[in-house]
Formats: sequence, structure tokens, C-alpha cells
Amino acid sequence: MNVLNIALFEIKKDLRDKRTLIFMLAFPIVLILILGTALTNAFHNGVELGDMKLLVKNTAQSQQLQSYWNGFAQAIGKEGVELTPAANGIDGKKAVQDNQYTAYAEIDDNGIHFYGSSRETISSNIIQGMLTSFADKYSLAAAAVKNDPEAAHAIIAGEMAPGSFIQESSLDPDRKPGSIDYYAIVESTMIAFYACMSASWLIRGEVKRKTALRLAAAPVGKLEIFAGKVIASTIINFLCILVVVLFSKFVFNANWGDHLGPVFLLLFTEVLLAVSFGLGIAFLFKDDAAVNGVMMIFVQLASMFGGAYFPVDEASGFFAGIANLSPLRWANEALMNLIYNDDLQAVFPVMGLNTAIAAAFLAFVAITMRKREAF
Amino acid sequence: MNVLEIRNLSKKFGDFIAVDNMNLSVREGEIFGFLGANGAGKSTTINMISSLLRITKGEIRLLGKDIVKESKFTKMNIGIVPQDLAIYEEMTAYENVSFFAGLYGLRGALLKERTEEALEFVGLGDKHKALPKSFSGGMKRRLNIACAIAHHPKLIIMDEPTVGIDPQSRNYILNSVRKLNQMGCSVIYTSHYMEEVEEICTRIAIVDHGKIIAEGTKEQLKSIITDTKETWISVKNADRLDLDALKQISGVNSVRLEEQTVKIVSRGEINNLNWVIQVLIRDQVEISSVEEQAPNLETVFLTLTGRNLRD
Repeated sequence: MNVLNIALFEIKKDLRDKRTLIFMLAFPIVLILILGTALTNAFHNGVELGDMKLLVKNTAQSQQLQSYWNGFAQAIGKEGVELTPAANGIDGKKAVQDNQYTAYAEIDDNGIHFYGSSRETISSNIIQGMLTSFADKYSLAAAAVKNDPEAAHAIIAGEMAPGSFIQESSLDPDRKPGSIDYYAIVESTMIAFYACMSASWLIRGEVKRKTALRLAAAPVGKLEIFAGKVIASTIINFLCILVVVLFSKFVFNANWGDHLGPVFLLLFTEVLLAVSFGLGIAFLFKDDAAVNGVMMIFVQLASMFGGAYFPVDEASGFFAGIANLSPLRWANEALMNLIYNDDLQAVFPVMGLNTAIAAAFLAFVAITMRKREAF
Repeated sequence: MNVLEIRNLSKKFGDFIAVDNMNLSVREGEIFGFLGANGAGKSTTINMISSLLRITKGEIRLLGKDIVKESKFTKMNIGIVPQDLAIYEEMTAYENVSFFAGLYGLRGALLKERTEEALEFVGLGDKHKALPKSFSGGMKRRLNIACAIAHHPKLIIMDEPTVGIDPQSRNYILNSVRKLNQMGCSVIYTSHYMEEVEEICTRIAIVDHGKIIAEGTKEQLKSIITDTKETWISVKNADRLDLDALKQISGVNSVRLEEQTVKIVSRGEINNLNWVIQVLIRDQVEISSVEEQAPNLETVFLTLTGRNLRD
């Protein structure tokens, strides 16, 4: 009963601390908004292409080829490729080198000779792909015409539809986070870890406020006080995270996936880890400045290496090694896997690790508290 | 019957002995003054009584029960008014009192009743919804007391409860202490204001270097020093005073200057006032008045410890 009373009182007291509450709620939301908006391009998978200009020198004599080519030219024109017949005497390759055209193609009865720009590789590759597709279909039609002219016509007619020269292949591009999605996750885990800052004051605050004397004089065990405070701090910080997650989901339309239960469970263990870490550091160091310093440095490094300010997926070497030590990195990776790969298994090891480390810190604090006179 | 008994109590911090084999008893229904200069061992003793510090040696019994072995019982019967304000500024007066009273097992209607009663007692009944940060120093001190009495303790320990407040609030608090005493509470009262202790305490102990060096009623303590007298000489130009010359006069035990008054403690049997006046005239010090003081607690304290209470 005492534990519950202490926890309720602590929660009430925390709710009155408007400055901390505003920080815990507004800070991540503002960061999601600012970083998510400012770094949109860094998370955008599309590529903007300029005009695709194809210079063509057509010297083919075959009526059939000319006919099929004209159809092809119309079709790719609708796809945004601008065809320009090469005037006599023009050096097509030089025109491409001078960046006047994306590619140059010479067509004769023996086939198509292609020369693409090394400056606009994506555009020239697209045109090359179209021409290759045309050449393949023409060869197939030319072979078919000998036995079945109707079939040959169908092959070519099918190819003339706009878009049929472009083959799409994708690794499910919709299952990757956009910038808002990314920052909603990493800022939520970051602010969950910020709980360690307030937690470091749970007992220190009582000593500073001198209320520790009253608590010590009351017929309440130190462990009851400790448990009440840990429960309260974990609940109040978790509630803040809950608000941030729901706000980002419904206001920013951030993608939190289809498994909100495990998401919240993971964030809960993250808060528990942060609270116990904060308490542990407060008991490890006697000096307030040292506690604040250690806490601030660790939180900032963990945030940075955990990907709270910029993605660290492609980090390598020393940076990657350091990044793997950040609890935020574990949580972020697990959440990304859960949300974007439906990998439920990814969250359990992290939840277990968070809980185990939290238990170690809490045990350390509980033992130290019992040994100490007063608090 | 003794509410509190301290037997052979010692407390060591490393090699430093803060409390040295102390023996003391507080009787039921008394207001017990506990006097000592800073570092004398007073707060350490109080902290051991309130279970904040562990006992190195000896024992403390409250209502006949050992405070270590019967920790819960003894804690239930002690109320602490710490020297520093021990309240939550962001919680209302009611919430503060109710929270601390709740730690003593009070629940529901009884908790509400006792909380309101404690706030009424200290004159904050109409301020129960207010936050302490809006309170004056005196009101905060009163709330500090309310937090210690809602559970109806048998013994209340008040450590400097009137520090830094206006005379009106001080009077209110002193009256509250008397009322609590009349209601059956025994009180241990520490203060740097000797006149407060003289005014309300029925018995007094003087602690120095971790030991009780004197204990008794005011009259008993004053009788210890009948062999000394104190002369107060008010002057207009204290800057011309030669205190060392005054200390050299035969029979003078100590000389101290408080604002424009020289306070001279001398041996009772020696009449040295003529010599004192001669020194003052020699130094062209203008005398406003000369008073022979009857021994008071301050003199007693000074004589026994060689220090002022505020040192």
C-alpha cells in the first residue's frame, strides 16, 4: 500500500512539473517535425530525371523495319523520350559528348548501334533498355513473320503500347521508412532514454529537498520508497512516450506498423532501462555535477550513435562498433525490423536485454541503499 | 515515566567521535531543551533518535522499546520537525500533510480528518489548497510542523523550528509547541535562540563535544554558575574599545562585544567594576549605561562550553 501511495504521489508531483512535461512531449515532436521535414530528400527513393533526348541516324532500307521503328518511335515519344533525326554530316557521338543528347543510335538493316552519355547514365540506360527491348522483339517478329505473319504483327503491336518497353522491378519500396517515419521512431526511443535524467533525481531530489529525513523517519522501508519511485517514474515517462507515438502516428501519419503492442512493450522496457540507469549513475557518483555530466554525455552519445539525429545504418568500422553499443540503436533496429519486416522476433532479444540491464542497475541501487545510512 | 531514554550512546564517523557515551532521559509531558553549538553532536543525536543514522554503540529506548529492534513502533510514535524545510513545494499544503501522514498508515476518513486537524492546528486551515511556494517563511515553517504531527506522535523532535522567521510567526510556533505539550506530547526542542529555550522548556541539557555537560531545570542550570556575574556596559563609540585590556583585568573570565554593548563575565567574589570603568575612561569610551545581569542560560552556556550558542 505504501508503494502505491508513494508512486501515486510521485506521479502527481511529476504531472505538476510542467517544464519537464513540456520538454518530454514537445522536444521529440518538434524534432520529428523539423528533422523529418528537413531531411525528406535523404529518405526519398525516387530519382528525378531530366529530358531524355535520343539522336537517331536511320539508314535502314527494310520497309518492315522502318514501319516497326516508326511505331516504336511514337511509343517511346509518349514515354518522354524526344527523338531527333540526325542531320547529314552531324557527328552523333560528339553531340552526346557535348551533352546535347542523352544517347545516339544508328539504325541500319544489320541492327542498332547505341552510344550513351556517361554524364546521364540513368537516362541513357533507360533508352538503351528500350532499344534493346525493341531489337529483341523485332528479331522475334522477323523470325515469326516467316511462318506466321499475323503472330509477328501481334508481337510488334503489343510492343507499341506506351510503357511496354520499361520493365519495373522493385524490392517493395513502400516498406522502407520515409523521413517522418524514421524520426518518429528514433526520437521516441531517444526521449524514452531521456527518462534517465529525471530518474537520477528520484532519490537525490529527496535529499536535496530535505524530505529524505521525513521519509527515513517514517515507518516505511527504504525499498518501499525505492519501488514506489521507480514505478512512478517508469509510468510517467512511458505515458509521455505513448503520447509522442500516438501524436506522430495520427498527426504526422508516421508508420508504426501493425504491431503496436510489441512496439509499446519494447518502449516500456526502454523506459525501464533508462530509469534504472539514471538511478544507478546517481548512486555511483556522489557529486551532482558528475552525475549530470555523465548522464548528459551518455545520453547524447547514445542518441547520436543510435541514429537519433541521422541514420547510422550504413556506418562501418569503428563508428559501427560504437553504434552497436548504444541501447537506442538496439531499440531502433528492432523497431524498424518489426514495423517494416513484420519481424516480431527482433524485439524480444532487445526487450530481454533492456530488462536484464535494468534489473542489474536496480539491484545495485537497492543494495547500495540498504547499506547506506539515510539515503 | 520516561518517554525517551538514551544510554551510553556513541556515534563515530571514521575516527571522529560525534556522540560520546551520552546518557539522557526525557520525561513524559515535558518540553526538553537540547542545547549545543554547531558541531556539538546535537543533530547527530537527533538523527539517531529518528533512525536516520545508525547507532555505533549504546541504545535508545522510546516508550520503553528499543528503537532498532522495534523500529516500526518507535517510528510511529515520533514526529520530526527538521531544521530545514522538508516539504514539496509543487504540492498543496493538504497534499503535503496527507502524504506524510499516509506513510504512518493513516487512510481514508481518518487521514482526511487528521490532515485537516494538523493544518488547522498550525493556522493553515484556510490555505490547504495553496502551494507552499506562495507561502511566507513563517507559513512554511508551520506547514513543516503540520507534516510532523498529523499522526499524533508521542514524542516530537523540533530542530530549530523558528529559524529565519518573523516574531509573529515565532510566537505562533512557540504557542503551538505549548499546546502540543498540553495535549500530551513530549517535545525535544533545539534552538539557537536561548530566550526561546528559557521561555518554553521545562528541562534543558547542554551538549558539547558529543557529551552532556549539564542537565536540569533552568534554575538548576543557573545555580551551577553562582560564582560568576555578568556586567553589560552600553557605549556610544565601541570602535575605541580595547577588549584585550578589559580581559587583562583581575577576575574577568570573558569579554564579548555585541553591537554597542560590552558583555563582561567575571568571578562573583571579585569587585572589578572600578577597574573596568577606568579602562573605558582611559580609552575615551562614552558610557551610556551599566547593568549587572543575573545569570541567564546564555551565561551558563558560555561558562560551561566557552562558546556562544551561535558559534
